[in-house]
Amino acid sequence: MADKVICITSGKGGVGKSTVTGNVATALAAKGYKVVAIDADIGLRNLDLVLGLENRIVYDIVHVIEGVCPVEKALVKDKKTKNLYLLPAAQTKDKSAVKPEDLVNIVEKLREKFDFIFIDSPAGIEEGFKTAVLPADTIIVVANPEMASIRDADRVTGLCEAMGKPEPKLIVNRLDPKKVARGDMMDADDVVQILGLELIGIVPEDKNMVSYINRGEPAVLFEDSIAGKAFRNIAERLLGKKVPFLDLSYNESFLDKLKKLFGGE
Amino acid sequence: MGFVDKIKEAFSRPPAKEIAKKRLQLILKYDRAGLPPNAVEAVKDAILKALKDFPFIDASGVTINIANEENSKGKIEIEVPVRNN
Repeated sequence: MADKVICITSGKGGVGKSTVTGNVATALAAKGYKVVAIDADIGLRNLDLVLGLENRIVYDIVHVIEGVCPVEKALVKDKKTKNLYLLPAAQTKDKSAVKPEDLVNIVEKLREKFDFIFIDSPAGIEEGFKTAVLPADTIIVVANPEMASIRDADRVTGLCEAMGKPEPKLIVNRLDPKKVARGDMMDADDVVQILGLELIGIVPEDKNMVSYINRGEPAVLFEDSIAGKAFRNIAERLLGKKVPFLDLSYNESFLDKLKKLFGGE
Repeated sequence: MGFVDKIKEAFSRPPAKEIAKKRLQLILKYDRAGLPPNAVEAVKDAILKALKDFPFIDASGVTINIANEENSKGKIEIEVPVRNN
C-alpha cells in the first residue's frame, strides 16, 4: 500500500490533530487492519489520552531511541480495539530527543509489520514538525474553518512542498453547520477553494467529543456519534473507497433568524 | 439603534464567512509570495515616483499584481502603459 505511513499535521495547535489521529487509526483497526499510531509530539503527549491508554505506558519513543528497549516492547496494545497499537511520546523530554533520522528508522522497522502507521505531528513548523513529516508517504493537514487555522495550514502545505513531499490532503475539522447556515463560518468548500487541497474529510462539531476524550473512548466506537461517522468515512477514503461527504446542511428556522437579529445565540 | 436600522444592518452587512474568505485569499497571496502585506503599495509608489519624468508613460494606467505560480516563488508583475497619442 502506497499510503501506509500517514502524518497528521496542522501548523496551528488545538485544531484536533490527536483526535483525528486516534479516531481514524481506531476506525481502520476496527476494520481489521493492523495499525500503529506514533505520538511525535515529544514533551506534550496527548494521543494516549484520546485512546485511553495513558495508564498502560511503560516505555516511550525516546526509550527506543536511547536503546533502552526495542520498538516492539514500547508499543502499547489497545484494549478495546484489536490490531491497534500506540507508540507513546516521551512526556519529560523535549523535541530534540527525537532526530529526523530516528523517526525514519523506527518507521522503517514498523513498516513490515503494520498495514497503517499514523504519525501525530506536533503543532508548529519547527524541527518537531519536520521530523514527523519526513517518514510519511501521505500527509494530512487538519484545519478548522477559521482564519488562523487556514493560514497556518497553507504555511505547512508550502513547507511540505519545500521538503519534496506530496501535496497534503485536507480534513476540515470542527465544522459547525449552524454557524455555516448563518453565514458566520466558512464551509468546507470555502476552505478547499482557499487552500486548493484534496478534501478527504469533513468532521462536524460534536457536542459529545469532550465526553469521549474524558472517557478515553474514541468517537468512532459509537455508532450514533456524528463525528465518529465522519472519521469512519475518512478511514474508508484512505482505503481508496469513494464515500460521499456527510450532508451537514442546517436549515435555519425563522426563530433562529429572529434570534440572530437580536444578537442572541 | 432602532429596530428598523437593526434589520437594515442585518441585511446589508456581508456575511462574516465572505469577509473571512476575501481576507484569507489576500493574506495567502502575500504569504505564499513571501511578501510583507504593504509590498504592492510600496513598490507601486516607488515606481510611480520614478516614472513621473517620462511624459510618454500613462502613470494612471500602471497596474501592479502579485502572481503566484505553481512550484516557484511569487513574483510582482507590473504593467506600464505607454500614452497613445
